[in-house]
Amino acid sequence: MGTATGIIRALNSGIKHIALKRFTLRYPEEKLKFVGDGYQFDPSTGVGIAGLKGRHMLFHDHCTGCQLCSIACEGVAEAIAMVKVPEEQTQNKKSIMPQIDYGKCVFCGLCVDACPFYALYMTNDYELSSFSKEGLIYTPAQLQVKPYVAQDSEIQISDRGATHG
Amino acid sequence: MTNELPPGLALRKVDERIMTLNVGPQHPGSGHMRIIVQIDGDYIVACDPDPGYVHRGEEKMAEYRNYILNIPHLERPVIHDSCNVLYPYVLGVEELLGIEVPERAKYVRVIASELNRCIYIMYWLAIYGIFLGHSTMFMWPAGDRELLIDLMEKMTGARVTHAHFVPGGVRNDLPPNFEDVCLRHVNYFEKRIKEYAAVFYDNPILIARTRDTGVLSRQDAIRFGTTGSVLRASGVDYDLRKKEPYDVYDELDVHTNVMKEGDSYARSRIPWLDMLESCNIIRQALQKMPKSGSVRVKLKPNPKGKGFDTVYKRVESGRGSLGCYIVSDGKPEPYRVKLSVPSFRNLVALPNLLRGEKLGNMPSVYWSLNYWPVEADR
Repeated sequence: MGTATGIIRALNSGIKHIALKRFTLRYPEEKLKFVGDGYQFDPSTGVGIAGLKGRHMLFHDHCTGCQLCSIACEGVAEAIAMVKVPEEQTQNKKSIMPQIDYGKCVFCGLCVDACPFYALYMTNDYELSSFSKEGLIYTPAQLQVKPYVAQDSEIQISDRGATHG
Repeated sequence: MTNELPPGLALRKVDERIMTLNVGPQHPGSGHMRIIVQIDGDYIVACDPDPGYVHRGEEKMAEYRNYILNIPHLERPVIHDSCNVLYPYVLGVEELLGIEVPERAKYVRVIASELNRCIYIMYWLAIYGIFLGHSTMFMWPAGDRELLIDLMEKMTGARVTHAHFVPGGVRNDLPPNFEDVCLRHVNYFEKRIKEYAAVFYDNPILIARTRDTGVLSRQDAIRFGTTGSVLRASGVDYDLRKKEPYDVYDELDVHTNVMKEGDSYARSRIPWLDMLESCNIIRQALQKMPKSGSVRVKLKPNPKGKGFDTVYKRVESGRGSLGCYIVSDGKPEPYRVKLSVPSFRNLVALPNLLRGEKLGNMPSVYWSLNYWPVEADR
């Protein structure tokens, strides 16, 4: 193959793409769709449930203050600290619950694997940016809130290329 | 006022022909490492790679954490190839603790490992393209990588650093309907990367730039101990997926790609052929995978080894054979973890390859070695 033919072929394969669909995700307007409600773990079988490893969610009525999530995180990121909560729970005698610093968290999900009481899950919330370091520290009360995450865009593949439809 | 300058700023004599040039560690052309190059005009006389700028002490850190908590930090050396970096560690711990892995988990691991290999190679290809001045080859792989990252996100819940492999299987089962989505994405991905041939690999400008630069002979490739795509580009048919099959690679039909030239072009083409082969392996694994069953063995909270024991396991990563040597002394923490990484071994060949080359050929030779500074420094 001659040099000229090769260069024309290379140009041509690029020009063909003018007619194809655009693959780019226009992020703040479009948001990705995920499977499930976030990563969860079933301690009875020892297997997790697939989902995005995003911001955690804490169930106050399950948490016993056993600190296993905090102990697991000590070897990874030291992001979880146990803090006093004002409310009284029957199963939580010490009234302590995890507080998570998202400036340190690496979203590995090993704290969820460590929890034997179905109290700590992860959710699809991934927009955690803040103007201050303190804003990244989520108290047990903030972790209790179930996030609303817009999910409208998924990769769709057709003959005219892939696109975030 | 004196004419004497400090030693570092002293002017050289005009008749001194050899000049020393530092490429890196802040230079974008080298990554986090320095290459000290001696040049005579435009030609490289000698070269001394100087790695070690991103040494993180991963091996020492591993001695203070138990076998499970080592997972998140041991995958950090190559975040784009995190499943493959973790693979030998997980295989080693399974042998130390005597864990039998479920059949379905082995297939899930093979699929995750092959997807990760493609993700790594696409990232490398984007860098390789931009350093040869080929902007299309920067944009296309960076965009098409999204197809596979989306799959990994569905499968493991994270776009990079998945922390998915654990001793005893994988963390979670595949999401519902994953097989269809995976097949659709992989088929489209394969169609896309075949288009790279016309725009990049058969492009006469690229061939003129990379043919016969940095030639590594077959004998030298073996003598320096290079692995992976560098070794296979020099005509040695060596792939651990075929030579030492781990997990279920012995049940799959793995074809290795070998080229005889040993130049930059061959070294850059082999990873692309590997990606096409990975697509075949993923399709086979999806077909042969058991449709149901457990994916993880339930372990005790703090698993321990049985007394003093050592194990060495290695896998074929995106760059070459990656080994992990673990010593256990019966405690929950390993006594020693040693990573034997392909990047460092491929770097050994660099001084030999660059001698006599033009300085302008340095990016194409250096990046064709598939070198990843963070992995080499650990």
